[in-house]
Parts: sequence; structure tokens; C-alpha cells
Amino acid sequence: MDYSRPELADRLAADYVAGTLRGPARRRFEALLPAHPALRAAVRAWQDRLMPLTATLAPLPPSPQVWQRIQARIGGATSAAPAPSAWWARLAFWRGFAALASVAAMSLAVLLANPGPTLPPIVVVMNATAPAGGAGGVMPASFVASISGDGRAVVTKPLGNVALQPDRVLELWAAAGKNPPRSLGLISASGATVVRRASLPLGTDHLAVSLEPPGGSPTGAPTGPVLAVGQL
Amino acid sequence: MPAAADWSDRSRELAQLLARAGLGDRAAFATLYERTSAHLFAVVLRINRDRAQAEDILQEVYVNVWRSAQSFDAAQSQPLTWLTSVARNRAIDSLRRAQSQPQIQAAPTSGGDDAEDTDVYDKLADDSAGPLELLSRASDARALTHCMEGLSAPQRQSVALAFFDGLSHAEVADQLQQPLGTVKSWVRRALMALKGCLEAAVQRDVAGRG
Repeated sequence: MDYSRPELADRLAADYVAGTLRGPARRRFEALLPAHPALRAAVRAWQDRLMPLTATLAPLPPSPQVWQRIQARIGGATSAAPAPSAWWARLAFWRGFAALASVAAMSLAVLLANPGPTLPPIVVVMNATAPAGGAGGVMPASFVASISGDGRAVVTKPLGNVALQPDRVLELWAAAGKNPPRSLGLISASGATVVRRASLPLGTDHLAVSLEPPGGSPTGAPTGPVLAVGQL
Repeated sequence: MPAAADWSDRSRELAQLLARAGLGDRAAFATLYERTSAHLFAVVLRINRDRAQAEDILQEVYVNVWRSAQSFDAAQSQPLTWLTSVARNRAIDSLRRAQSQPQIQAAPTSGGDDAEDTDVYDKLADDSAGPLELLSRASDARALTHCMEGLSAPQRQSVALAFFDGLSHAEVADQLQQPLGTVKSWVRRALMALKGCLEAAVQRDVAGRG
């Protein structure tokens, strides 16, 4: 059957959304959806038409156990299991590295002798999120960053060798609280990079480095793995 | 009165919650659950009347939403439409698995007075609104009112049984004691009439504004 024929696509989509397409036919239709944009468009149009009918059903709260079971499944607050929470929200992660940061601060002071700023720079260690040895498919990479006292410049430097593939670049991000991170620009994998800005985003409390396609993230948010993160 | 107008009003907030959940924000996901779970549960329980199964389905729906929230495209779909579709699909799939168990009670057949134009389904022991009543409530939305009125009574009834209660063509035919082919054509014509009517209403809206 030619599923791009609008009339057929529309008829199948109507039956699918209304719920009368059943059994093997329903499964076949679902299997076709990913490869047929015309079918998907027809399904969306029928969903837009018919779903508002359900607004008339009286809301019925499920028992509280349902939410508890969902939380358990997605690794909720009570669970210590690793969860897909955003890296900038995992504050506990940071606390363990506070001590390391002060050690690195001293070494960075040597690296970046800064002649007479009115405010001392803030030094951030961005620790590798991947274990040494590259287990888990993400390469281990750590960086230090120094933010000038007035917040208008950030200097980054990799700690050790970063084995970057030629078709990948590193992008530096600033995050404030639970807000999505903002890009500060691309940084070098081999030496110091000076990133100049009017100022850091207000409330920035950590920095991170992600792996991105050439030219940097196309979306404005980190798209590749986050290689390293550090708290201010 | 809840109606299609609310549907879009709630969208912006839900779209934001979904976007944040897609970034791994649990608090946003919890709020999303709070705002939408009673609606989705009503939709699911209407199709699969087994409360324990309906709760399992709801659980699966939200675990899936958490995992796929990132793929939700606010430019393409309204959040509540998307969520409701996900829930309905799960609920309908659950019927497939439980097909050996009877999902519906036989309609009371006493009397057989054909002149009576009531919905037999409304007489079943169930204090929730019957499918026809739901359709007439949905009809409070301007365009839908007009379009539902355009359907014949059997068309309305067969669409309501299929859509709200998740009955297959064959089950609707059983329920209404009509030949399968007749019911199929009622549903088909009802859906096509609805489509044509809603599209015309949208065009009138656009023309009215322009």
C-alpha cells in the first residue's frame, strides 16, 4: 500500500486515533509511523481534533502509590541510584570536590599570574565526569578555569592531556541554579583559552565543558556528553 | 465547564514543565504529574475499567513521558494532546493483551422497544457520565457543538463508544446490536463529517479575524 496517499493516510490515522484500528493492523500502523512523515502528520491532525473531547471526562486522581512507584522507577529523591538528572542540578556532586578546588587554586595562581586585579580571580576546577581509563564511553578530561574578579574574562586550561577527536570541539558553559546552562564559547583542548564576555550570567554557580560538533552546540544547550563540571 | 478552550490555555505552562522535565528537572516533572495525572487516569480508566491495571498503565505512561520528554516538540503538538494520546494508546494496547477477558457487560436487552432512543450504555451500573453525555459536554466548545450536532444519533453513539470506552468496531456492533459493516460506516462517516466541520470552523475563525 502506498501510505503517502493522503486519503489512505488520513483514513488510517483517523481509525488509529479514534481507537478503532485494532490488533495486528494497529501494530503495523505504529511500526510504519517512524518512516512515514505523512502518516505522522495525519495522526497529529486527528489527535488535535479528537483529544479535546477527553476534556469532558471528570478528573479522577489515581492513588498516591502510583506516584511513589513512578518515583522509584525514575530514581526519585529517596533513591541513591544514578539518575538522569541534569548535571547542574546535582549539587551533592559538587560538595565532594570543594577540597580539591582549593588545592588547584594554588597551582592555578602560579599558572595565571595576574598582575594586580582589584578583586582576586575565582578559580574553578572542572572535574572529569568519566572515570579514569575512559570507561563508559566518555573520555576523562578535567579543566581549571579562572574567572577574573570583575567576571568579564574566563581563562580555561585542560589538566593533563585531552584526547579530542578531530571532528569534536569543547564548549564551555555557565549555569545558574537550576536554569539551563548558557554557552561561554569554545575552548582549547591543548592550551589556555581566554573567554571574554561582558559579564558572566547572573548567579552563575558552576561551569562545565561539553563535547560538541564543530562550531559548537547547534541548539544553544549542551548536546554532547558533559566531560567536566566544577562549582564556583 | 471544561472544554476545548481550556485545553489550549493550559498548554503553555505544561509545555514549559515538559521542557524542564526533558532537562532532568524532577520538580517540574512532579508538577506536571500533579497537573495532568487525574485527567490521564480518567481517560485510561474509561478504557480499561480494571483500577489496578489502569494504575499500572498510568505508571508506564509517566515513566515513558519522563524518558521521552526531551523528544516532545511544542511546535508540533499541544502538551495535553500529546500526553492524552500516549495514555490512550497504552490503554488501548492493554485491552489487546486482556482480550480473552470480557471488557464489557452485555447490554440489557429486556423489552426491545426500538422506539426508545436512549443510550443503553448509560443504564449500566456506573455513576460516571455515559459516552453520549460526554459528547454533549464536549460540545460546549463552540466548534465542537456545531459539529457534533451535525452527526446523526447512531453516528454520535458509535463514535462515543469507540473513542471514550475504547470499543472496537465489533464491540460497538455488539453493543448497538447492529451489523459490523453498518457500524464501521457510521464511525467512518462520523469522523469524516467531524473533520470537515472542524476545518470549516477554523476557516471561519480565520476569516472572522482577518
